[in-house]
Amino acid sequence: MKRLSVVLAVVMVLALAASAGSISGKVSGVTGKSVVYVDTIAGKTFPAPAQHPVMDQKGLLFVPHIMVVQQETTVDFLNSDNVQHNVFWPSIGGDKKAGHNLGTWPKGEKKSWKFDHPGAATLLCNVHPEMSGYIVVSPTPYFAETDASGAFHIKDVPDGSYTVVAWHEGAKTQSKPVTVKGDTTQDFTLSK
Amino acid sequence: MSKHWRTVFFGVMAILAVVIVVLATPPRADAIPAFSRQYNTSCSTCHIDFPKLNDFGKAFKDAGFKFPTDDESMLKIPPVLLGAPAQSELWPKAIWPGSIPGQLPVGLRMNNYFQVVGANRGNLTGGGVTPPGTGFVPRTDFETGFFSIFTAGNFGSDIAFWADDDISVAGANANGGLGDGYLKFVNIGRFMHLPKDALTFRVGQFELDLPFTQARSYNISPYDIYTEANIGAINTLFPQQNVNNGFALADAAQGVEFSGGHQYGGYHYSVAIVNQNTGGPIDTGTNIPTATGGNNGGLGFFSDSNFKDIYGRFSYRFNLERNAESRHSIQAAGPAGPRDHTYLRLGVYDFYGRSVQRFTGTNGTLTAREPFYRLGGDFDFGYHGVFNLYGLFMYGRDHNLLPVDSEGALLPLPLATGTMISGFMNGVPATFSGGFMQADYMVYPWMMVIMRWDSVHSTADLLNGAAGSPTNFPFAFNTTRNRFTPGVQFLIHANIKASFEYQIRPQQSVTVGDNGLPAQPFRTNAVTAGLEFVY
Repeated sequence: MKRLSVVLAVVMVLALAASAGSISGKVSGVTGKSVVYVDTIAGKTFPAPAQHPVMDQKGLLFVPHIMVVQQETTVDFLNSDNVQHNVFWPSIGGDKKAGHNLGTWPKGEKKSWKFDHPGAATLLCNVHPEMSGYIVVSPTPYFAETDASGAFHIKDVPDGSYTVVAWHEGAKTQSKPVTVKGDTTQDFTLSK
Repeated sequence: MSKHWRTVFFGVMAILAVVIVVLATPPRADAIPAFSRQYNTSCSTCHIDFPKLNDFGKAFKDAGFKFPTDDESMLKIPPVLLGAPAQSELWPKAIWPGSIPGQLPVGLRMNNYFQVVGANRGNLTGGGVTPPGTGFVPRTDFETGFFSIFTAGNFGSDIAFWADDDISVAGANANGGLGDGYLKFVNIGRFMHLPKDALTFRVGQFELDLPFTQARSYNISPYDIYTEANIGAINTLFPQQNVNNGFALADAAQGVEFSGGHQYGGYHYSVAIVNQNTGGPIDTGTNIPTATGGNNGGLGFFSDSNFKDIYGRFSYRFNLERNAESRHSIQAAGPAGPRDHTYLRLGVYDFYGRSVQRFTGTNGTLTAREPFYRLGGDFDFGYHGVFNLYGLFMYGRDHNLLPVDSEGALLPLPLATGTMISGFMNGVPATFSGGFMQADYMVYPWMMVIMRWDSVHSTADLLNGAAGSPTNFPFAFNTTRNRFTPGVQFLIHANIKASFEYQIRPQQSVTVGDNGLPAQPFRTNAVTAGLEFVY
């Protein structure tokens, strides 16, 4: 009986693995890092990640310049500079109601914010207008950043039909319907 | 439509046209003057509306053109070391190590103007008590302003430097040429265990530590009181004054200055010892060493006297933030991010010098050394870096030594050519007063509206104009000259600015009435548009 249970469990895992594919492809038309994610899946929610990624302000720069997080993720904003900074974003995904200003905090301290609105947030500092950073909020845990060549790979995506979004700083966001069945390929060509 | 209203109409239309062009251009913050390049940051890190400094910019300047803390980590272009820091351990057997900026810290500034003058401009060249001018004052005029080069930075060891020069014209000081050129030894009080920044030393040519800078003013027209020279009255209607002091507070000074404190909060003081330069004659005979050296050698001379003038200033700035940490920080911590403090600064200043006039007398050259001072106070109120109200008052007084003949009788002024004098006697001092008040409001971070009131009270200017020898102001109609100057400035980019002023100028006159005083007053109001850029 015990042996049979183990066999069944292995079969179920293999079956699940067989139905979880991936989306690969290349984002062209732009240079530098892009973000690709699976858009909202109707009727499906995902637990919020427990980990708090850190967006730093160091040397009058946002570090990292681009961060992609799952919706409901709490991001810690750190000031590592000995000058005062702040962080605000005028909108998220073009929705100005989702804009927010975190205020001021001194060196070494953090302020946290839970991103519960999908889309890209442009991070700005109101005293150093040359500073900018981006947090791309994915409504699903299926997202990836491109490498230097523009290639991306989103793994563990269950088979099904989705809308996949490609985002790049300063370019028009592009959405494409994608049917995932095993390993699937989808390329994007973005323009500014 | 009358000529006056046509002037106003065309002026307003010109402003509107440029405003529309400006508003149609989305503002960007990508200015790259000298410090922007070094730190890879925008002009607005230090400026509200260049060259107007915000609190961080004041701290940057106080620190010797450095970030007040962690400067090295902020520099995107590392400095070039002129010796390893460890060389300091070998001193005095090695040169103390310093550094130079990794990139030549040079900035350039250029501006252009367009001016529309009121219809009354024709009166200035028409009939009057003086021979009418043969010139012509145009209704509209394009003018180039200055094209200046400036370099500033830090050589390490808290030694800062600044030099700026108007390279578009020949001349010196207000007429172009070298503006400021100095070395500043920041925080030398550390060698005497004084509190941080309690003592800084500056040497070279510089604008005095004025309450509000003229050399780096963001206004198109200067503050009238800063350029007021004290020329005594020579008019039979008034006791005569043998005062011919060309000194103006905005003039560049040569000398040394001790200062301390901070401009962004708390106390600040400065004491400067500078050349006397009241416009008196400087001997340039063949045996006098000249600036260019040659066979005579030497450096030439700038002073017109052996006396050195003294300028002192003290101010205290109260930052009015409730939170103590925020109050003592360089910038306040607002709910929407760092911003300038709400503050009130109060200050006093005094300049003391001697104006020298030399005459040929019965006993050779006779020198009238007339002590003078310029004394005043100022206030400066700022609210969150959005609203700024400030003002200054000045009182000027020159001692008056009148020439007398061998019998002690007063000689009429102006002296006829060849008149020999035997000495001097005290006369009525020459005085003037005045000041200005200005309000700035930032409608947007790229748009500032301004209202200014300048006022100069000088009986001598009125009388000298009536006597046909106008000096400071051509034919003043009143002893008090008020000028109101509304303006607006737009940052097209952080380094490109369009400025507009409408000067409601003081009444003036070119006609003398039966009472010997100016008559038939008129104003020559003017609209000035400026476009400048720095890079």
